[in-house]
Amino acid sequence: MKRLLTTSTAALLLAGPAFAQEVTLQFWDNQQTESGLSQYQQEAVDRFMQENPEIRVEVTTIPYPEYQQRLLTAVQGGNAPDIATLDQIWTGAFAAAGALVPLDERAEAAGVSRDAFFGGAWDSAVYEDGLYGIPFNVDVWQFSFFNRALLEEAGVAPERLATFEGLREAAEALSGEGRFGVGLFGHQGEDTVVVANSFIFSNGGQVLAEDGSCALDEPAAVEALQYLQELSQFAPSGILNASSGDMRELFLNGSLAIEFWPALEQPTLQASDIDWGFAVGTAPEGETPVGTFGGWNLSVFESSEHKDAAWKFIEFLTREDVNGDVVDLIPANVAAAESFLAANREGADRIMAHLENAAPRPLSPHYLQIADAQMDLYQDIYSGAEVAAAAEEACARIDQLR
Amino acid sequence: MTHTRRTRAAIVAGQILLAAFVLLPFFWMFSVSLKPPSEPFAIPARLWPEDPTLSNYVTAFRPEFRTYFLNSLIVSAASVTICVTLALLAAYAFSRGALIALTALMGMVVLAQMFPHSAIIIPIYKMMRSADLLDTKIALIIAYVSVTLPVAIWMLRGFLVKLPVALEEAAAIDGAHPLRLFWEIVVPLARPGIIATAVYVLIVTWQEFLFALSFTSSKAERTLPVGLNDFIGQYGIRYGELMASSVMVSAPVIAVFFFLQRYFVAGLTAGAVKG
Amino acid sequence: MTRRDQWLLWLFLAPTLLLMGVFLYYPMIGTVWESLHQSSFISPDPEFVGAQIYSRVLDDPDFGTILANSLVWTVGVVALQNVLGFAAAMLLNQGLPMQGVLRALVLMPFILPGVVTAILWRFMYDPQLGLVNSLMIRTGLVEDSAAWLADPGTAMAAVIFVAVWKGFPFSMLIYLAALQNVDESQLEAATLDGAGPVRKLFDVVLPAIRHVVLVNIVLTLILTFNYFDIVWVLTRGGPQDSTHIFPTKIYETGFGQFQFGEAATYGVMSILVLAVLVALYVIVERGTSRRRPEA
Repeated sequence: MKRLLTTSTAALLLAGPAFAQEVTLQFWDNQQTESGLSQYQQEAVDRFMQENPEIRVEVTTIPYPEYQQRLLTAVQGGNAPDIATLDQIWTGAFAAAGALVPLDERAEAAGVSRDAFFGGAWDSAVYEDGLYGIPFNVDVWQFSFFNRALLEEAGVAPERLATFEGLREAAEALSGEGRFGVGLFGHQGEDTVVVANSFIFSNGGQVLAEDGSCALDEPAAVEALQYLQELSQFAPSGILNASSGDMRELFLNGSLAIEFWPALEQPTLQASDIDWGFAVGTAPEGETPVGTFGGWNLSVFESSEHKDAAWKFIEFLTREDVNGDVVDLIPANVAAAESFLAANREGADRIMAHLENAAPRPLSPHYLQIADAQMDLYQDIYSGAEVAAAAEEACARIDQLR
Repeated sequence: MTHTRRTRAAIVAGQILLAAFVLLPFFWMFSVSLKPPSEPFAIPARLWPEDPTLSNYVTAFRPEFRTYFLNSLIVSAASVTICVTLALLAAYAFSRGALIALTALMGMVVLAQMFPHSAIIIPIYKMMRSADLLDTKIALIIAYVSVTLPVAIWMLRGFLVKLPVALEEAAAIDGAHPLRLFWEIVVPLARPGIIATAVYVLIVTWQEFLFALSFTSSKAERTLPVGLNDFIGQYGIRYGELMASSVMVSAPVIAVFFFLQRYFVAGLTAGAVKG
Repeated sequence: MTRRDQWLLWLFLAPTLLLMGVFLYYPMIGTVWESLHQSSFISPDPEFVGAQIYSRVLDDPDFGTILANSLVWTVGVVALQNVLGFAAAMLLNQGLPMQGVLRALVLMPFILPGVVTAILWRFMYDPQLGLVNSLMIRTGLVEDSAAWLADPGTAMAAVIFVAVWKGFPFSMLIYLAALQNVDESQLEAATLDGAGPVRKLFDVVLPAIRHVVLVNIVLTLILTFNYFDIVWVLTRGGPQDSTHIFPTKIYETGFGQFQFGEAATYGVMSILVLAVLVALYVIVERGTSRRRPEA
């Protein structure tokens, strides 16, 4: 620490006269959880400014529900920040709109490469062979968090939750008498999409096939959706307006036996009185569950006047020794993720394995419209529609976008 | 007014029902605000937390909260003052002028009320940016005055057309300057309409969300409706602190309304406007 | 009118015309222009397509759903809000003790920001944790927890209920003011004639405040039709589009899916629909008033 201080003081003295002109960067981030992350972020930003005295960084935090609209307005209005965190699923659209700076050359020059990050996260920042962001944080849907006491009472072995059949039986055994077996939710939100996806992926299905056509009406996907439809009878009523947040409240009061969340849920559970554990995803007997990748990338906007300084800041935030301090999901830098998980999460290696095996959502600039069709499909399914027909209808909509 | 005992009982019963309808959600809001963050929500819902605490209020009463509150107050007060003034002038012109052009313009005012905000926000944002007004209260005040003006004009014109013109004519014959005439005769007579319009503008601006969200980015300029969203994350809501903040937002305004309501109702009816 | 007055008149109008022109009409003309061009966030170069987006939107079954929902939502909220507002005004205009306190209390929902109102009610409606079901089960009104917002059959009613709860105090305030102008002597005369409270209401009170009723209804019509916060936070237009109305559709298409051309088209359509709605109401209102002799 002392050495770091002296070096940075030295750097400050050396750099002082050379960079008389100070640069101010606007950095936008969304406020993802209700945790006090911003404080750690501010500390990291202070550290960056110490290391780079010629650069000032102003952080703006925007609540998640409005972040997308806020960013879009800013970009459209010609007032984008220099750097922002972009959801993996938006990066394609912002790149296609020409709003982002390709980072390939800068990354190559700095020795920042795919190997240091989770592959799926890196790929989400690639659009038409250009790199438009550096992965910032990641997580994977879903882990099945369970209430140990309720499982024991019903005589359900936790390992059973990892298979389709086992989860179904467990959900049935755990339901009734004011208790709910499984916390499925189906409101108009991205969490609805990622959970359903992970069941489709685990069953060998896809959202889009290799050629970009809709694959939700393929047998593997339809089968998984039929499974979810059947599973939904053991969920708390009100599935069509319920979110993962609502399920958390039920899990915390002890009435829900199993909830679906990314690893991000662990701090909340650690702070509660619930005796909990988790199973890694759900797959058919003998198969390995494939989760849905989620997370955020750091991108530089084309309108920025300080692209080099912005790149410096991104390089700093995704560095092994910094990345873990500035995220509340999981660092996208693999080395940082390993130490972060070991220090902050239970079952670090199981989380790591699930992350490495996870599949991304469709990397398409039309993703938001695809997701809208998916949400409608999942709502239809949770309200009892015939699955194959509903999937075909969704696919017709999705294929029209191409 | 006099009532028989039976109608009186019926009215009181109605009033109690009305109060229950209005207050129950507020009671629940208050109850949730007293629940310690560690206490899970019960099924069925508990009316009162097991172990009430003020800790949510302590967290919620952050320095930011005070900034948001002050910002909301400034923006609302300025918007109301400017909007009502401009609307009064315009409404007076519309109610006293007899030109065909005015009828057409009034039609445009009526039409402008109907523009959905999310359809016009990006162009307004661009203009605010060109004028270097983003992230200032001035941007919000300009936007609020603009979007509330049409309704305000329309409301005030409704009041003004019913004012007896005879008084003004008499004063005009006496040689009063039109501006004096406006200020000394029309404005006092229009007071009920002015108050009603001010209440409308206040309510719209006090809770406006979309413009406030888009035009402000720093915590120093945010208003309350946006600031309250600090407690909403991607996956969860901190209900306790959110509700504590909501109570703190509501309490002072309710107190103001409580002391002022008689003036509102009286003010709205002063000037003896005949229906 | 003298020349000087004429000049003054335009001076009075100038600031309003300037603000309206710059901040309402100029953006709106831009929106109309956008609705005639194919453009989205990812293909920003607008291409003139005439009425193509309009015909696409009109052909989309979603449009019918949204139109029907918007009508149910608007008419439902306006009718209930005005009836309840009027009833509340009557109840709180009887000179009974506590009237002042009650008037202030009833105004409370009106002050609460819309987003907070919606979060509060979303929680109230929560099938398992909410107060609504808890009270209904305790009082035996329903047997099992009902999911008001998650059932496409009840979601719209539930959303309307919240909007009425929030909006009726405004109507009440206006009616309360209007009631102060009802001629006491006419009421007394009616009482002497042996009129009951219902006849007094229809023969004396309502005719006396007719103009206020008209203004109030048109005003709430416009405000409700374009009201966004409550529906968006409660349901986001779901479940299964059962509460999707014009403002939520415009927001979702534009900001949620980055489809500007389509969002603009829905924006223009929504103005047309609302204008027709208001015109229809005013025409019907004028028609009935002509048939009825003025009191």
